Amino acid sequence: MSEIPTHIDFRANVQAVRPEMPASVQKATARFLGTRANVVGELGEARWQQLRQAGHDIRLHTLEHLDGYLALLEQRVTEAGGHVHWARDAAEANRIVLEIAARHGVKRAVKAKSMATEEIGLNHALAEAGISVLETDLGEFIIQLAGVGPSHIIVPAVHLTKEGIARLFTEKLGVDAPADPFALAAIARRTLRQAFLEADMGISGANFLVAETGTLVIVSNEGNGRMCTTLPRLHVAVVGIDKVVPDMESLNVLLKLLPRSATGQKMSCYISFITGPRGSDGEGGPQEFHLVLLDNGRTRILQDEIARQTLLCIRCGVCLNVCPVYNHVGGHAYGFAYSGPIGAILSPQLLGGKVAGDLPFASSLCGACAEYCPVKIPIPEILIQLRRRVVEGDRVEGPSAPPVIRVAAGVGGLAFRLPWLYEFGTQVLKVAQAPLRRDGWLPALPPPVNRWTLARPFPAFAADFRQWWRSRTPAGRRKMQQRRIGAVALIAAAVGLLSWLLGRRGRQ
Amino acid sequence: MTKKVQLFITCLGENFFSPVLRDMVTVLERLGLQCEMPEGQTCCGQPFYNSGLQSQTVGPARQWLKVFAPTEGYIVAPSGSCAEFVRHRYPELFPPGTPEHAAAEDIAGRTFEFSEFLTKVLGATDVGARFPHKVTYHASCHILRGLGLREEPKRLLQAVRGLELIPLPEEETCCGFGGIFSVIYPEVSRAMMDAKVRHIMASGAEVVVVGEPGCLMNIAGGLHKAGSPIRPMHLIQVLAAQE
Amino acid sequence: MSRDTILADVRTALGRAAGAAPPPVPAAARVPPRQPGDPAAELALLLAEIKKVAGKTQVLQEGELAAALAGLVQAEEIKKATCWQTPELQALGVERLLADLGVEIVSPYADKEALAACDLGVTGVDAALPETGTLLLRGGADRPRPVSLLPRVHLALLRPEALRADLGPAFAEVKGPGYFVCVTGPSRTADIELTVTIGVHGPQALYVWVLPAR
Repeated sequence: MSEIPTHIDFRANVQAVRPEMPASVQKATARFLGTRANVVGELGEARWQQLRQAGHDIRLHTLEHLDGYLALLEQRVTEAGGHVHWARDAAEANRIVLEIAARHGVKRAVKAKSMATEEIGLNHALAEAGISVLETDLGEFIIQLAGVGPSHIIVPAVHLTKEGIARLFTEKLGVDAPADPFALAAIARRTLRQAFLEADMGISGANFLVAETGTLVIVSNEGNGRMCTTLPRLHVAVVGIDKVVPDMESLNVLLKLLPRSATGQKMSCYISFITGPRGSDGEGGPQEFHLVLLDNGRTRILQDEIARQTLLCIRCGVCLNVCPVYNHVGGHAYGFAYSGPIGAILSPQLLGGKVAGDLPFASSLCGACAEYCPVKIPIPEILIQLRRRVVEGDRVEGPSAPPVIRVAAGVGGLAFRLPWLYEFGTQVLKVAQAPLRRDGWLPALPPPVNRWTLARPFPAFAADFRQWWRSRTPAGRRKMQQRRIGAVALIAAAVGLLSWLLGRRGRQ
Repeated sequence: MTKKVQLFITCLGENFFSPVLRDMVTVLERLGLQCEMPEGQTCCGQPFYNSGLQSQTVGPARQWLKVFAPTEGYIVAPSGSCAEFVRHRYPELFPPGTPEHAAAEDIAGRTFEFSEFLTKVLGATDVGARFPHKVTYHASCHILRGLGLREEPKRLLQAVRGLELIPLPEEETCCGFGGIFSVIYPEVSRAMMDAKVRHIMASGAEVVVVGEPGCLMNIAGGLHKAGSPIRPMHLIQVLAAQE
Repeated sequence: MSRDTILADVRTALGRAAGAAPPPVPAAARVPPRQPGDPAAELALLLAEIKKVAGKTQVLQEGELAAALAGLVQAEEIKKATCWQTPELQALGVERLLADLGVEIVSPYADKEALAACDLGVTGVDAALPETGTLLLRGGADRPRPVSLLPRVHLALLRPEALRADLGPAFAEVKGPGYFVCVTGPSRTADIELTVTIGVHGPQALYVWVLPAR
């Protein structure tokens, strides 16, 4: 379970990454990208791009008319016998869930995987109210035992080895757990089966909310999603308002994009379509169904036309898999429930620049994420917009970076606006670098740019193209002459001024 | 259009890659083009923009436009990121209604990265180069994804006499430069650079070719630190070679 | 009220006036459904895809159901079973055939602990999607949800008429109030070091038998 952070220090988090962690992350991401390539290849590039564009268009259309679709969704869910609640923020969402639990005397809850409930810290709130909550997705179950947050959207425990998991089970479950994935999964099945049968309340998120029919769509492979939403008599779903899709037809596109992008499956094992509580006693399933619609900053994200595309996300995790930064640091470095490229754009918008202002810069802007995103979110574009928000501020939020950056940039920018100053600078640097220079390199630079040389040497300044170019023509040679005279005059004036000033001080 | 090329030398090109700029002139003149170099150019402003300093970008951009707008012919840069920035961002920075808008639109229509200019504008892949070495190619992010040039740089290399092009594992993975990224998060940048250098060293190539000055700075520094004899070169240097 | 605040915030963010119903989804956001091949090819594709996801398939001729059930009971050591109560399964006499094999029949309306102790759950199939080997099962009073979920073996009896070309056409038929689930293979996870493990919380084995067309 993640804590809701007060400040994310990305660099410090990176420095704390265990050296063996990137290898296990890369093994996972390489596997997912491999299986994805097979199933996307099977569809063919043309069909895949057609699906991506349609997915983008459907999601964007929904966001642009979100108020109408939310109202329709609420109407349909209510008609089907469900209850709809609206939560402006995490605190309100937790309060609503606790009230429902209290009314039903809930003591034990089982939970299917839900990023939204991670985001609001629901487990903490329930624990504080004396309700035991068991994570039932195997990866979430494991990290719950370990007391940490998820390190990948799809495989939350990918950073752990089977030996580590075996030790965890032995210690926390009091069983003799061998370091074998099959045995460990069997232990989880036995442990959780009883919990499913005894739970008073099942908690879930949703992958999609279908406005046309009031249907909750839950995609899963293990069957725990079905167990949580079928066996307890009470089902509570906490879902971001950005999960809405217009109609069932939209899922024809989105359900082709999601499993392929997430795990390289053509279809996940189970997709549940839940519309209200059970239709009759005999059917089995919950007697009561509650949907908690969560804002928690999403309406603010809608305000910016570019950044609002963050909400197109269908939580497939492919951007993590293909991101070189994520592959070298893993999920915990991003400090919140969402990691990788989607985390770098979503967390700053949910948490604000003061908390998460580091994250938009945690990217080399390589663009691989945008190439792979099944709904074509322009992630690098949004990263740049959010960098602007952090450094200069925009309509949505004021700047959170220290003003000295803007001031320094203004001074530096002067050199780029005055060509003579710029050219003078290029020549001064060639001279000034002399004490630091070793052959064609500067192995160490002064702070703050010593951060470059932490990793590799900086090339020596060597600007001489203009001279070469000018020396090719008489007009050019004349210009060179003028520049030399000008430079000498400038230096002489500077020396003269300096001598005069020092002379004056000496006389005082 | 006249067969004139305005040299967009770029701030990194000017300060660190003079030989590349000279070779660019050599190749273009070999292809029968007349080169000019607008004197007042400094920097297109990209480093500011990508760092979130959009309001500070306008000044340098305006200066750049002032220098290049009155020129004739194509504007060619030894850099994908700079060419892409001018093409893509200048019309946004100077939207309709601003005095610079017309100039920005005009510029956007005639600014190119070098390999793009050769293959797409001139329709040339063979530029008369000879470079009998084992060469591997790193696909810089802006050239690959920003400008959509996946095959073009490699086609140019394949047309070089005597050159053996060896595939680079993880060719399309970012080298870790990322502009200010390399200075803000040096540990991650280094990890990415180390991975790229490892792949280059394992490729069996004598030379690694890069089309982007920023990547070249990063990879060259990494190879030097690793004590590797593999030569990092800009694509233009290989195309100018007549060994 | 939070509802009004949130909806108002949405409208303000989008720069829209109150209360308009959304326009139709733009045509560009739709993709044409998959075109099916001929029925025999579709069926073969369905069975091949089910096998790819570790399901087990069989094609039964008229009168072969009893023997097939006997084989299953023995292979999977079925002691207790529960079934959908649909007219079709009743007409097939599945419960009687199982009882004849010494299997204890548990009512699908029994409590969850009793159902969880069942070894076998038998269902029909409302729609089948060949491209991905997916079975669509509706919920309802005669088809309780736990039957396809709790027992460790799930047997799905399929008629060829249930095949549909794509998700879109299948949804068009079943959408509306009422639960349904899409099942593709037995349950699985790759959460531990990416090793694929079959049989986690849902059924550990899925059998899909094709009955002759009606």
